[in-house]
Amino acid sequence: MEMEPETLVTSSGGQDGSHSERPSEPSSSSTVARVKKLLFRQVLVGIKDGRFFMGTFHCMDKQGNIILQDAVEYRSTRRNSPSPMEQRCLGLILIPFSCRTSCHVECPIEEQMSLMTIQE
Amino acid sequence: MDWNSTPAEQAEPSMGRRSPLPLSSTIPASPNTVWVDATPLLQAACTDLLDGELIHGENFNLFAAMSALEIMDPKMDSGMICKYYSVDEAIEDGVGPVPISFDRTTDVQCTLDIMDHLLACEATWHKGHSLAQTVFSCIYLLRPERTVPSPILHSYCKIIRATCKAIVSVVSDARTHEEEDLFTMAYGLPLDGDGDEKSLSLLNAVEENLCRQLRACKAQSSRRKQDMEPLQSDIDMEEGYCKALLCRLRFRKHFFHVLACMRRPQGKGLELARKHIASSMSELECIRKSADFLISIASGGCSIGIEDRTTASGRQPIGFDASLNSRVSAPAPPRSIKMLSWNKAIEYFEKLLRDLDFICSYSLDPSLEVLLRFVTQFQSSRPDLVARSHLQLLLVQEGRLYGRDPMFAVITRAAGLPETTKNHDIQRYESVMQLGQLVINMLKIVCTNTAWQRRKLGKSLQDWRVIYVQLELAFTNKFGEVLATSNDENGVARVVKQILIWLEEQAYWIAFRFLMLGFELELYSPSEFFMVYWYLYAVLVKLAEKTDSRMEITEITAKRKGKKRKDSSKDVGRETRIPPAVRFLQCQIHLVEGLTLLQAALRNEMAALHSLTPFNSEQEIFLQHFELLQKACIPEQITYHSFKESTSYARFSNIATPNCFQQAQKLAKELRSSFSNDHDRLAELRRLEQVAEHNSVAMNVICQLGAVEPNSLKVSFEFIHHPCYATAVVRRA
Repeated sequence: MEMEPETLVTSSGGQDGSHSERPSEPSSSSTVARVKKLLFRQVLVGIKDGRFFMGTFHCMDKQGNIILQDAVEYRSTRRNSPSPMEQRCLGLILIPFSCRTSCHVECPIEEQMSLMTIQE
Repeated sequence: MDWNSTPAEQAEPSMGRRSPLPLSSTIPASPNTVWVDATPLLQAACTDLLDGELIHGENFNLFAAMSALEIMDPKMDSGMICKYYSVDEAIEDGVGPVPISFDRTTDVQCTLDIMDHLLACEATWHKGHSLAQTVFSCIYLLRPERTVPSPILHSYCKIIRATCKAIVSVVSDARTHEEEDLFTMAYGLPLDGDGDEKSLSLLNAVEENLCRQLRACKAQSSRRKQDMEPLQSDIDMEEGYCKALLCRLRFRKHFFHVLACMRRPQGKGLELARKHIASSMSELECIRKSADFLISIASGGCSIGIEDRTTASGRQPIGFDASLNSRVSAPAPPRSIKMLSWNKAIEYFEKLLRDLDFICSYSLDPSLEVLLRFVTQFQSSRPDLVARSHLQLLLVQEGRLYGRDPMFAVITRAAGLPETTKNHDIQRYESVMQLGQLVINMLKIVCTNTAWQRRKLGKSLQDWRVIYVQLELAFTNKFGEVLATSNDENGVARVVKQILIWLEEQAYWIAFRFLMLGFELELYSPSEFFMVYWYLYAVLVKLAEKTDSRMEITEITAKRKGKKRKDSSKDVGRETRIPPAVRFLQCQIHLVEGLTLLQAALRNEMAALHSLTPFNSEQEIFLQHFELLQKACIPEQITYHSFKESTSYARFSNIATPNCFQQAQKLAKELRSSFSNDHDRLAELRRLEQVAEHNSVAMNVICQLGAVEPNSLKVSFEFIHHPCYATAVVRRA
């Protein structure tokens, strides 16, 4: 399900970051375009009650609600101490912004450096 | 993706701030990738997005996205962590302690509460909820080995698991629980026990011990055995507690035996099952009576209303948490469950036992006609899934009726052919085998819930039609004109002809049942009754005709063989030549004809009854109701236009003579003697007579007054005397 993403940013870095493609959607923002490039990647989202969901990034709206495809739920069997994780498959899920505590995207190692530069 | 199951560093649940990568060591994405925090980027993008704008790919479909499970919504997120992350964590927190209490009296009280609540859970499960959220919301059931130190609780849990397993097995085998499919899902639940014998022997041991304790406490104090340790510490309450526990354990034992006996092949265990049913019923009665004792000693008041309580004592039971299992119940959204109250649970089991007893009382009659009447009668008490599944498994086992009679034998008997025909060669023909399969399907269908049953019966009509045509074609082609003559001695032609007659009769019976079930399911609005009655008239006429043909040809065959006729009273006169079964149908034909004419006249003479809706025309409604029958041409040449034609002439002036209702009433009275041994049909005749009588009077009133002052009357049709044949109620407007 994962598409090989194009390089997220050019090596020149910088605040606004230049792109080779022109987005055709209404907002011509570069951040939106960059997030668009994250679509179909594996994403790991943490929830307030301690669970994690990993799935394919499918959709996001202005409020920050995220839809994941083929999501898998991970939970620990103990709240406070180290313990084995349980997992189960859920399919298509919507994670409201209000309960999201973290969101990590899967990146090739080389890209990580560039991405971190942009985010500063 | 590598899944590393070693314990990992657990991040504290973050409260809105960015968490450091807590799981990167336990869920590495893949060898060459890492997890990178995307939160700032996402936040920035959100700010830049326009209102209503979405970031999505080309495969995105808004409609499909609406089906996404919303996390942290209790209706959709079955994995939401309420209090405990897992069953083990709950146990560690003391949710289901073993022993429940070190004070033995409290221990016994709590054990009784658990037993009662489990009964309520079980009844709730039977009614159509998931096993995981009901019975297995009990922690003691989820970890079987924990309860060993408490013998009473342990044996009870064991027998519950064994019983649930037996019931899941019955319902799964019947495979007609489509609309009740949460019932059999048992993934991840410890249903597999050590075996039924062990459960029963444990139960017996515990029961014996309790009996000794009961005897000991009843004995004179001077003769009280010192070495018999009492059940609990309060001497005055010992008898009450012993009895309360005993009846609960005994109920479970007998109920389990009922299930085991009923599953024995070919109905061999039915008689023994009835004995256990009787015992179960009496133990249930004891359980009910024990409530007074338990309420009176309940310490701490009843927190819930007395009617809603799920235990006899009114206390909340220890060791239950439905949320622990919500992840196992289904990946789909969990339903919210209202647990049946304890009283309602007992009522449920009493009804279940009555329904099972009715099944066990059946004599396994080889006649298909008798069987179908039995099933119809059984269904009239609205039995639940568990009882229906048992009936279905009794009727059809390994492709045979009662596991005993091959389908071809059933068919030939139903068609009135002599016993020897069951060995006839034609049973190997494909179309005949398919007919056998169709009969099996029909038997399974009539055991299901009313709504599903009606749908499937309606759909099967076309199959019956097709089989009829195939059978006819197959043997006409083979033998050419032989089928045309009825006096031929060729065995095959005669057999096929009789089977074909029976086949038609059976198809009309199905159509009749299909239409009648519509009344039970309240599928017809009052303004549509008269077209249903008209169609019923057409079907009943055909059904009577085919039944009569079948019976007549059976008689002829029997006569030819020189066998004595069973009912010699048929010798007298031409009238009595018509068999009672056919006259029974004729009675209903008169009734239905009367209802059709009465309603047609009301519509034709009084505009008030025309409730024209803006949505459907009358023709469309007609086609909607009778589409399946029309497709199968049952009966043939029945159309909306023939319906309109035959009802358009009805007026107050012409419908009362002859009075169809009076004819029906007269016939119903006459038939009483023919069915003097058949309670079910006698009851039905009484109902038909009442409908006929009241409608006859109503019709006369309507016709007389209606001709003069049509608008002074208000007529409604209500099911006062019969669930399907309405009675006209006339009021002054």
